[in-house]
Amino acid sequence: MQNLASYGDPGWVDYLIMENTKFDACPECDLLLNQALPEIGEKALCPRCGYLLYRPRKQSIERTFALSVAGLIVIFPANLLPLIGIKLLGNSHDGTLWSGVIGLFNEGMWAVAILVFLSSILFPLTNIILSLLISAHLYFDKPNRYLGSWMRWLQHLDEWAMLEVYTLGIIVACVKLASTADLKLGFGLYAFVTLLLITAMLASSLDPYLFWQRIAYLRRHEA
Amino acid sequence: MTALAQGLIRCHDCGYLSQQARQPRRCPVCGSRLHIRIPNSVQHTTALLLSSYALYIPANIFPIMTVTQLGVTEQHTIMGGIIALIDKDMMPIAILVLVASILVPLLKLLGISLLLLKVRYRWQSNARLWTTMYRIIAFVGRWSMLDIFMISILVAVVDLGGVSQVIAGPASTAFAAVVVLTMFAAKSFDPRLIWDNQE
Repeated sequence: MQNLASYGDPGWVDYLIMENTKFDACPECDLLLNQALPEIGEKALCPRCGYLLYRPRKQSIERTFALSVAGLIVIFPANLLPLIGIKLLGNSHDGTLWSGVIGLFNEGMWAVAILVFLSSILFPLTNIILSLLISAHLYFDKPNRYLGSWMRWLQHLDEWAMLEVYTLGIIVACVKLASTADLKLGFGLYAFVTLLLITAMLASSLDPYLFWQRIAYLRRHEA
Repeated sequence: MTALAQGLIRCHDCGYLSQQARQPRRCPVCGSRLHIRIPNSVQHTTALLLSSYALYIPANIFPIMTVTQLGVTEQHTIMGGIIALIDKDMMPIAILVLVASILVPLLKLLGISLLLLKVRYRWQSNARLWTTMYRIIAFVGRWSMLDIFMISILVAVVDLGGVSQVIAGPASTAFAAVVVLTMFAAKSFDPRLIWDNQE
């Protein structure tokens, strides 16, 4: 990162990383804490505000790697195949994730269309790609100058990928439609539910604390 | 003892502690900009909150979707859609939509307002409870998108020409904006401010 170069002394970065690792600060109340690393299955909470500081995960890097590969495969059928279809008076019609976005766009609701596109298609995809890139680099011990930026993007985009909310939307829409038309569930829906499970497992297997430690470690040993 | 009192800055993104005395502008681990607290947190949150309040009104009075069924056209507001569900005896789903589209946005708006007032007027009260409230607000925000996603699916599926059609209404843009703005408001609020003024 070019900004680090501007500090001049290259040993500076190493020095800082070594120095402050025995302390930690709670992100939600700023309490200064002695660093405690719980065992797998345990968790560390902030004693003052109760924030969940760490919950180490079993085989975090390996599982994140495997799950992001699986997610990348499943995301295509989930996006492209019909989720649900209806039949009414001999007419039938299927809907996919994309056709909802395009439908909203054609009705002039471009802002809503963009929001739906981002939160149900683009951000889930970028999250999976970023998880794959980061975990693959960490798994193979390959340093990369963008690892830190990828991890930051992943953390910021995480809450904007809303597959689970979309699933609830599908359920409500199905209930609304069931009384007036014949519903059929498409293959895309099964792919979508699989994708939902994979992203949920991905979120719980990724241990941000471990990932940052590994990124800092790779960075130190880059040169 | 806070990190601030010890002259340490925690990176927002990777959690690494830097020393204030060295006046670092960027985190040496991840390159993120360092700040002791989120800059102008209260001002940004207030601005986003006021915009959300303003948009909450059109979101509730204009129709969120127009449903055409066998030649009959009906316009639904958010509340109207819930009443229609109750009329069709779909109570659990009606409650779900009521919680996601009416209660959550409203409680979020009020909750963030209270948090801002607490920080502004330094109310001395149980900071742990306030932090819990902040966490709930930050967590539930995204679930309000339920209505928007449901409309998106209905628009995609119910498109049978003149027989049956669903068109999104003007309230959907306003409602989506309320959800996004309150999510940004929760994100720009720094929960450490709750603890900073605590005795």
